[in-house]
Amino acid sequence: MGKPKIATVWLEGCAGCHMSFLDLDEVLIDILHQVELTVSPVTDYKDYCFPKVDLGIIEGGIGNEEQLEIVRHLRRQAKIIMTWGDCAVFGGINTLRNWIPKTEVLERGYVTSESTVNGVVPIHAEIPRLLDQVIAVNHVIAVDVYIPGCPPDPEVIAYSLTEILNGRLPVLPGEMIHFD
Amino acid sequence: MENTSTPVNITINGRELKVDEGTSILQAARQHGIYIPTLCHHEALSDYGGCRLCVVEIDGAPKLSASCVTPVRSGMTVVTENERITESRRTIVEFLFAERNHNCMFCPRSGNCELQRLAYELKMDHLTVSFSYKKFPSDITSPYMAMDHNRCILCGRCVRACTEIAGSHVLAFHHRGPKTMIGMDLQEERSHSTCLNCGVCLQVCPTGAIYNRLRSHYFVKGREHVCEKITTFCPLCGLMCPTDLLISNNQLIQVDGHLSRANGQPNQGQLCCKGRFQVFRSPAGRLLHPLVRKEDGDWVVANWQEALFLTVEKMKAIQVQKGEKALFGLASPMLPMEELILFRELMEKGLNAGYLDTFDGQHFRNLKGTFYGGAIPIRETSWKQVGKSDFILIAGGNPETSQPLLQSIFRRRFMETELRTGLISSLDDVPSFVTDFIHVPSNHLAELLRALLAEVDHLCKKEKQAGKTIGSSGSFPLLAGMGISRDAKSAFTSIARSIAEAENPLVIVDTSLTGMADSNSLNGVIDLARRITPSSKSEPNLLILKPEGNSAGAWKTGMVAQKVPDQADCLKGGLLLMGDESSMGEDILARIHAAEFLAVITPYAHKFLMDRAHVLIPKPTWLEADGTYMSLDGLEQLFRKKTIAPPEGVWATREILSAMGEQIDLKVSSKQEGLFKKRSDPLV
Repeated sequence: MGKPKIATVWLEGCAGCHMSFLDLDEVLIDILHQVELTVSPVTDYKDYCFPKVDLGIIEGGIGNEEQLEIVRHLRRQAKIIMTWGDCAVFGGINTLRNWIPKTEVLERGYVTSESTVNGVVPIHAEIPRLLDQVIAVNHVIAVDVYIPGCPPDPEVIAYSLTEILNGRLPVLPGEMIHFD
Repeated sequence: MENTSTPVNITINGRELKVDEGTSILQAARQHGIYIPTLCHHEALSDYGGCRLCVVEIDGAPKLSASCVTPVRSGMTVVTENERITESRRTIVEFLFAERNHNCMFCPRSGNCELQRLAYELKMDHLTVSFSYKKFPSDITSPYMAMDHNRCILCGRCVRACTEIAGSHVLAFHHRGPKTMIGMDLQEERSHSTCLNCGVCLQVCPTGAIYNRLRSHYFVKGREHVCEKITTFCPLCGLMCPTDLLISNNQLIQVDGHLSRANGQPNQGQLCCKGRFQVFRSPAGRLLHPLVRKEDGDWVVANWQEALFLTVEKMKAIQVQKGEKALFGLASPMLPMEELILFRELMEKGLNAGYLDTFDGQHFRNLKGTFYGGAIPIRETSWKQVGKSDFILIAGGNPETSQPLLQSIFRRRFMETELRTGLISSLDDVPSFVTDFIHVPSNHLAELLRALLAEVDHLCKKEKQAGKTIGSSGSFPLLAGMGISRDAKSAFTSIARSIAEAENPLVIVDTSLTGMADSNSLNGVIDLARRITPSSKSEPNLLILKPEGNSAGAWKTGMVAQKVPDQADCLKGGLLLMGDESSMGEDILARIHAAEFLAVITPYAHKFLMDRAHVLIPKPTWLEADGTYMSLDGLEQLFRKKTIAPPEGVWATREILSAMGEQIDLKVSSKQEGLFKKRSDPLV
């Protein structure tokens, strides 16, 4: 049996959780020795049908149809799903648009924004359509591990990865949970 | 709740406890150090039982009970923590998070939020229910506080605080069910409501629903572990309310009152708009370096020695040129005693100034000009009498401007004990707590007070003669020709009767009356206060409101000029001005605008000073310096410690004044205590 395989995806979020992951410093080297990083924004390897992996990590909320597909694929291919950050866990800052109708959001972004001249809302078969609302990952697929935080501290990410590598499903103690 | 002393035996988590009958399970648990999480409960407020976070299992009952509203019963067995209870509490917190917008990353309260803390405590790492995303409005009409209903959890603390502590009854629950919102009055916005902006709702709000608009939200989030809590008091008015200041990275984050139902203060820890918010406002920018005006009128940054040397030299030159009395000193009564005393020494002994005054000196002189201030010293009672008196008569005007907190006390006491409050004023500003109002032109005020005294005398005599039956009076003829209305006449009778019937009435003289040079009115009101005081009391039931925080202290230092020189309304020679004010009143500006040489020691770069002054010397604000202050009745001296560090390079006020003194070989006395008059001495 080879090293455990990990896939990470970056959905509707700021990549801050991945930055926090990179911020593990020397612990990152230890962890990378123990795992095989497959599909990930870090490796820039894109295959959204995903190879079979042991751990699928999701950063970001689900805001469009493509992201919906990605998480469903990942769920099928991964043994364990871990969500990183407030966006994946709760919907996060992206949910600001949930209080506003979708058409208004698109209009504001593509047509009425101050820097736009003759703007139109883009519609194309290759552009994934926006969902009506940004949703948290666990409202679409089953999630095994939740790591909230905006972003989660590197220590918390290290803790959760180490726990999983040691064969345990991590449940964060109260002092490791934070939402900001 | 009546406190019978019969002890009751109960068991909490297997521990047998003896507690007083009538206490709630929550109180009993807290008394014995057993933790129960709460959200809508606040120790200074009545219990409400709304949030159900404090649920406990009683005698193994299938239904959990809210411990804050369940009284103890003999033989009761309580469990405060098991899986079922934790699950129930976590579900409640999940529902609260799902119901409105509780995304912590864009909330200024994050890190210091009770809802968030509970979520961490209950290990809520995700939501099993979906969010409602229902949009609620935000009210940002007040310059001080914003209310974001999207962050509200409807715990009702603000509603109870507004009623029970502020006595305002402005906040209430509006609408029903999931549409429920906290509303102001009859669904007004805050700026159009009767809200006093006292901010007690802000202090008790467990989430970020009500937040301070003035403090910086960028510099730091109010995390408790990076914030330092400093217990001190607010020197902005003479009531000197105790406060807790939350400081982080040398920045003030929040001002809290010591909310408690039994903290010995008549205000129960309530603060006013001034104390809670004014410290965050500095309309003028901070002055960070000494500035000296060049010949061509431009400002140049000078070093400290240079600026102080120049100031003293210029002052001395003016004295040589224009004679002994050409130097003036003007200081703010907001400054602590130590700074005022040093200022006085420098000006009087060092520079031999012709005239020394405080911004509020006129009030002192007016009081001094009365029969009492002149011949017999005016004694005053403790301001805390406002919490005990059964009738209050205010002469002069609305005490809101000088002591804003008093109206909360009056409002609350009106609700609790139907306290009657009379107001005699030449102004039309009638605060809502006033029950009897007499509008009288200021030239008739003295006569009216005499008539009132006569009426009270008459009623008291009648009372003595005929037991309790109090008839009408013979003093109405005295009111003729004063131009007072029929309503005012009935108010007059009502006030007189209330005074005669009250056991412990109190007369409050507002600053608008002491500000008027009308010794007859002042004599009249002091007469009245002395007349209504029981002979057993050494101090009359009289309280004279002071215009600024340390007015009483400033008056006690003896630095207020007894007489105003003829040209002093418009000081013309060399003037040294020292003050902490973030904005200066028109009257002060009118007094200083003609100075030939104006040196100012101030924390702020006021526009007026930038236009008129010749030397500007920065000083720390009151938050950045320590000092002694005196309560408005002159009965308490309180020492206030430095809360935050002044901007880098700004000298302490004492260093500035000592350095100026050294230049003229003035050894500024280190023993300042002797300069304070004895505590018991009357102020005026």
